[in-house]
Amino acid sequence: MGKRSLALLLMLVFATSIALVGCGGSKSTSGANSVLVFAQGSDPRGLDPAYVDDGESAKIMMQIFEGLVRYKPGSTEVQPLLATEWTTSADGKEWTFKLRKDVKFHDGTAFNAQAVKFSIERQLPPNRKDDMPYAEFTFDGITKVEVIDDLTVKIILEKPSATLLANLAMALAAPIVSPEAVKKHGDKFIENPVGTGPYKFVKWDKGQQVELVQFDGYWGTKPKMAKVVYKFTKENSVRAADLMTGSTDIMDGVDINDIKALEAKGMTVIKTPGMNINYMGFYTYKKPFDNLKLRKAVSMAINRQNLVDYLYQGNAQLPNTMLPSFIPGYAKEVKPYDYNIEEAKKLLAEAGYANGFEFTAITYSNPRPYNPVNGEKLAAAIQADLAKIGVKMNIKSYPWKEYKQVLNDGEGDAYFYGWIGDNGDPDNFLMLLETANIKGSLNSSKYSNPKMDELLAQGRTTLDPAKRVAIYTEAQKIAAEDAPWVLISHSIDMAAHRPNVKGFALHPTGVHWLDIVSK
Amino acid sequence: MLKYIIRKLLLLIPVLFGVTLATFMVMHLFTTDPTEIILGQHATTQRVEALREELGLNKPIYVQFGDYLSNALQGDLGKSVITKTSITDELMRRFPATVELALTAIFIATIMGILFGVISAVKQNSIYDYGTMVTALLGVSMPIFWLGLMMIILFSVILGWLPASGRIAIGMQPETITGLYLVDALLTGDMGAFVNAFEHLIMPAVALGSYSTAIIARMTRATMLETIRQDYIRTARAKGLTEKIVIFKHALRNALIPVVTVIGLQMGALLGGAVLTETVFSWPGIGSYLVEGIMVSDYPRVQGAVLLVGTIFVLVNLLVDVLYSYLDPRIQHM
Repeated sequence: MGKRSLALLLMLVFATSIALVGCGGSKSTSGANSVLVFAQGSDPRGLDPAYVDDGESAKIMMQIFEGLVRYKPGSTEVQPLLATEWTTSADGKEWTFKLRKDVKFHDGTAFNAQAVKFSIERQLPPNRKDDMPYAEFTFDGITKVEVIDDLTVKIILEKPSATLLANLAMALAAPIVSPEAVKKHGDKFIENPVGTGPYKFVKWDKGQQVELVQFDGYWGTKPKMAKVVYKFTKENSVRAADLMTGSTDIMDGVDINDIKALEAKGMTVIKTPGMNINYMGFYTYKKPFDNLKLRKAVSMAINRQNLVDYLYQGNAQLPNTMLPSFIPGYAKEVKPYDYNIEEAKKLLAEAGYANGFEFTAITYSNPRPYNPVNGEKLAAAIQADLAKIGVKMNIKSYPWKEYKQVLNDGEGDAYFYGWIGDNGDPDNFLMLLETANIKGSLNSSKYSNPKMDELLAQGRTTLDPAKRVAIYTEAQKIAAEDAPWVLISHSIDMAAHRPNVKGFALHPTGVHWLDIVSK
Repeated sequence: MLKYIIRKLLLLIPVLFGVTLATFMVMHLFTTDPTEIILGQHATTQRVEALREELGLNKPIYVQFGDYLSNALQGDLGKSVITKTSITDELMRRFPATVELALTAIFIATIMGILFGVISAVKQNSIYDYGTMVTALLGVSMPIFWLGLMMIILFSVILGWLPASGRIAIGMQPETITGLYLVDALLTGDMGAFVNAFEHLIMPAVALGSYSTAIIARMTRATMLETIRQDYIRTARAKGLTEKIVIFKHALRNALIPVVTVIGLQMGALLGGAVLTETVFSWPGIGSYLVEGIMVSDYPRVQGAVLLVGTIFVLVNLLVDVLYSYLDPRIQHM
């Protein structure tokens, strides 16, 4: 009898649960209208700006933290944030920032010059740790930070730096943290972030979500939503399913194949040009591509528009220079060597290869943010183009880890690669062609042109924006003429949201601000 | 019996050592160096070297393994190199989610599997038999990943009946007691949370249990067919017992003994399947933690998760052995 009653009980539980589910429907939580749910692909690596370099962390940190300055919507120009104004010394080595009054951290402590000094100096030698990925880049050239008074701080550089402001607007390393909270949480600050932003960190259920609430003591305009939740859903198509069923409000990382289904269900799909460049590079220091005519011929034999239209299904932009169009200094007038088979054949003959030639290109087998289809497919498409002018391109493909190694070793004659911008400054892209960066392996082409080096050095120390535009326009022209790279595409970042969501925009740096979003 | 259990437990040591060694080698030899992931595209040779030194990755591999092993023996699985959090803490936090999913899956698989198996054995060669066995064949052959996505499209997107991902709706988590949401919700009397957690659990559990359901159904059918042809069943029928009693009381009980072994083995298979299921449904358990760890070459994380899964696998098998001799007293472990 005992067994029978157990079986009955089990059946009863089962039946009750099914019945409950049946009438339960998909109830939403109380006050769901004041909660905004943003779905992304995975957990942040951490929420301490000093220790992370991934986009998933950057997005969340931008709601919690603020820097001295921030990017303007839609561009990488900077505007005041925690600093209201700044002046530069005549030699450009000292920057004095006036700080915003009455700003509080989420833990109630006051934001002041001490906090700025603390946030930066914890990432400068000797405090800098090896696993602070962006400390060196973001605070490049800063030797120390001086507190002038409670609301004035001076940043001292070893040499003038025109990229300082752009660096200070970044989501990585630059945001100002609460010194008290860092001291209190120590190693655990990465899971207990405290900043001055419009949203305050509440909790992080690993593998599930991060919850933020409106910060009552926020100095600026109150955020529109009382609560924001970042939900982590690994699969792109499952994230799309969640959006369509209404359990989330906004998602990013939209799969090209899901766009139609999302739009059919009334979702809004947003596309923004990404801050990156996808390219094929030549080793310009060795045969055969030390010959400009050959580089030109190969460049002109590649139908780049076709690659964008078919290989990337229109979800990419055709570049005319290395710089994405929203970066200050982008030169619209610069023209790369465009598709022209006749001219390519002529150049090939002039270079002494009338019957064509053979070379090896190395590539990567995995997708990259700037190349969602992967390097192998891109290489194969280009191989077919080059065959038309009698050039045989052999492809050697490697998994990413090995690829970086063989690329450093300079294997083959050409290579496929890309770059993801950091701070939205033109220098951040053009420095990839600088002689000084051959050693650090950033300049994989080992391209070297004294004129380019001179312009880049000038650009870094010139503070006048108009003069900088002239300098970088010149640099982009040289890059286009010398053709060390064939510029393939700028990839496009995509997000989607439900029809009732208002005010959401993707910033070209990959982040967004949810304080202006409502639903 | 006690001796047997102790012997089995001692056997755990070489097995877990092997698992740890294999995982360690695979991670260190075949994946991207985590320093590349941590430093991103600014990883210059010099910075990579400095970080490798800090993380201890420049030591000879046997020294690294020795260090890892001695820490692991003291219960310290280390810190994630990517998120800097304690692996032991993370595993403990996520473990209940996997347990809840696997137990529900095995519960569904057992009930459905035995039911299907009995039906098709009793109605051998009928349309029911063919129907259930074809379904079972599908269940065995369908990849969990694909099945999961198809279920999401049908039940979430098209029909709108069930949530597509996650463990519970935002803001509905019950107070943590055991970490199993269904249990916690019942204990705290939070019926809203119970229903919501149950809705979230149905699809992943069915997807995860599909393979096991099929295996159990096939096994039950085979042993049932064998049993109902035996003399004592004929005797029971001849006595005039109803068919229901003959099947469920006399035949099924004896037919189930081999099925129990299969169920036990399926528990192990479920842990493997959980890796895929958790990834599809964003279930915050050990499986998804492991997959993400592999993606970012988080050595300590992958090693810790595999070690935990391995330990459970071995312990579950031990439990099955013990249960087996309880169900069938003829089997004695010496």
